[in-house]
Amino acid sequence: MSAGAIAVRPAARFSPAEWVSTTDHKRIGILYLVSAFAFFLLGGLIALAMRAELAAPGLQLTDEQGYNQMFTMHGTIMMLLFATPTSAALANYLVPLQVGTADMVFPRLNALSFWLFLFGGLIVLSGYVAAGGPPDIGWTGYPPNSELPYSATTGTDLWIVGLALTGVASILGGINFTATIYTRRAPGMSMLRVPVFTWTVLVTSILILFSFPALTAALAMLLLDRRFGATFFLPAAGGDAILWQHLFWFFGHPEVYIVILPFFGILSEVIPVFSRKPLFGYRAFVFATIVIGVYSFTVWAHHMFTTGAVANPFFSITTFIIAVPTGIKFFNWIATMWRGRIRLATPMLWCLGFIYIFLFGGITGIVLGSPPLDYHLHDTYFVVAHMHNVLVGGTVFALFAGLYFWFPKMTGRRLSEPLGRIHWAAWVVGFPLTFLPQYQLGAIGMPRRYADYSADAGWTLLNQLSTAGSLLLGVGVLVFLVAVGLALRRPPDQPDDPWGGNSLEWWAASPPEHHNFRTIPPIRSERPVFDARERLPGEGRA
Amino acid sequence: MAVAAAAVGGCLPAPATSEGRDIAGLYAAFLAVAAVVAVVVLGLATWSLLRDREGRRTDLPRQTRGHTGLELVWTAVPAVTIGILFLLTLAVLARVDDVSPADDANAPRTEVDVTAFRWGWTFTYPGTDVTVSGSGLPGPEVVVPVGEPIVFRLHAADVVHSFYVPLFLFKRDVVPGRENVFEVTVEEAGSYGGQCAEFCGLYHSRMPFTVRAVDRTAFDAWLASQPRSGASASPGASQ
Repeated sequence: MSAGAIAVRPAARFSPAEWVSTTDHKRIGILYLVSAFAFFLLGGLIALAMRAELAAPGLQLTDEQGYNQMFTMHGTIMMLLFATPTSAALANYLVPLQVGTADMVFPRLNALSFWLFLFGGLIVLSGYVAAGGPPDIGWTGYPPNSELPYSATTGTDLWIVGLALTGVASILGGINFTATIYTRRAPGMSMLRVPVFTWTVLVTSILILFSFPALTAALAMLLLDRRFGATFFLPAAGGDAILWQHLFWFFGHPEVYIVILPFFGILSEVIPVFSRKPLFGYRAFVFATIVIGVYSFTVWAHHMFTTGAVANPFFSITTFIIAVPTGIKFFNWIATMWRGRIRLATPMLWCLGFIYIFLFGGITGIVLGSPPLDYHLHDTYFVVAHMHNVLVGGTVFALFAGLYFWFPKMTGRRLSEPLGRIHWAAWVVGFPLTFLPQYQLGAIGMPRRYADYSADAGWTLLNQLSTAGSLLLGVGVLVFLVAVGLALRRPPDQPDDPWGGNSLEWWAASPPEHHNFRTIPPIRSERPVFDARERLPGEGRA
Repeated sequence: MAVAAAAVGGCLPAPATSEGRDIAGLYAAFLAVAAVVAVVVLGLATWSLLRDREGRRTDLPRQTRGHTGLELVWTAVPAVTIGILFLLTLAVLARVDDVSPADDANAPRTEVDVTAFRWGWTFTYPGTDVTVSGSGLPGPEVVVPVGEPIVFRLHAADVVHSFYVPLFLFKRDVVPGRENVFEVTVEEAGSYGGQCAEFCGLYHSRMPFTVRAVDRTAFDAWLASQPRSGASASPGASQ
């Protein structure tokens, strides 16, 4: 069914003009992916520089201002220029394929989303060449500290404007994905036959539509304060410092689910393929995703337990409750593996890494959701460890699972299995070495966002362990880049369905033709390609 | 090895206040539940991994799509677990957030007004004109009596700060435009390092302070020995 397709594929010649003007969802997806990954590399280098600075007491590499700018840019880049657009990247590439259509509903709007994101991101980065350098306010930008009297750098204004643009990009993307999933599904694909990754994209898109406007509003108010004489967040002039925190976290907590739900979706695509079973409890999984989405709007003030300004018991119980649907997903994944035929190829290894590591991020999230415990742990390295446990141990592990899994689909080539295992091993060792010491640093009281610490504090050894671990993570990423480079030098040799996949992207060629499909198999479940392969072995694509 | 064990455990230091003791107890309960959850979940995953590897059998496994009973169990058990954790949380939260009434003659309390500024602290004792202030390192020292309630009233002069004493297992944000009040009872005499925990700009990492807890007699003597009526440093003077 695929041998002929490779022979007739024309040799693709790289044409910058075609890429800049493209409205093809696959090319836009790859543009998103390459840009977001470039931001990831930059954010990672900044993280390594911070870890190097913290490896010993005293300031060796930079001064306080430089360090404050580093953690501001690291957090901003990783949350808003890497994690958020990465889910847009995979969604762009995969959603039209998974629902069996030729493109997004609004292809030109889709291109606009990408370019708004890219230039918004570049405007944030342009702080590096502005007077005063990049912003020095933390990625959460709490006023009054982010107001003009306390943060004079132009980089802070560029941060506001750039992030507002990337927010618009996300909102436009959310509209596009929602419309595409609602209206462009192939015949026979009822909502309860939609692949689970696409389901998570749908819920994520709706979260974006309701949460990003709060960020846009907050950013606009901060800019008005800084440059146009408004006083929204200036208590001395009648404003309210806490108001920003409400607006920011009303965006910020759904944002956490925006950057994890699609990655739950990736696990739910990869684990069934490598266990050769359907996702256990597909309907429960979809329902749990919707519940998490709705509930994610009720937990935001758990970031504010120590402000003395919110109803702590209410935001504590909502935070606890959201653990239940998340727990359901864990049991779904394990029950999918149960009595399957587990094949430990690289994508599956990354999923297992996720399961063993993300679990502790979920558990420590419950710990932080208890206000008395948060009174001690809030704004310490415990929180830093927790958030990296879910964003690195969760989002990034799932991203690598997805990249190793879909790379053959996107490029027609497979990433080296041995290099993939080395990359994985570096991360499976490097992750706990980096972040377990940070849990302990937080437990003994090291606050986050400290440029320096005293040699008497007893924090040196734990910081050194963490720095050593971060180097391993960096080495792992280098191995990944080598694997990508080596794979791209070879001619495409992958069949349409190299893994024995389930959803419609594995029905298309690798890489898919411009309009994706010539035919669509009958869709009688959420696994049409599995159905066609296992139940109708004689039937080709006609 | 001890470091590795500590790193994995997320072990809290021994708390110095009665409130901190409640918090440490709650933390231990959470860790115990967490350990059970981790053993069950990762135990099941590991069991499946060891047993269900492809190799011996490559035929298509049974295509199980779900099991309503099981799914109800793994929804209900976590729901009950978090319900219990929430009740424990509520009990501790009520004790930690409690501030004793000001007019109770039988339970005297010491009040300290705290003003945080970029990048230091001012402590005043209402009704006494005693003020301690300092910025930078090593920071000011606030003296309090041991074994009786101390009420801190927090004010910010500029941006948001956070009053954090790790050995109290407690912090409270210092927010411009509002007054935050909390109460602690230090159980053991000693010096406890404190620091700002909410990012407040350039020298955020350089605004420590010390809480020195002494017995009532020593506290009264210390208070009497202090210079009066704002004669001591104004904010920022003790660089």
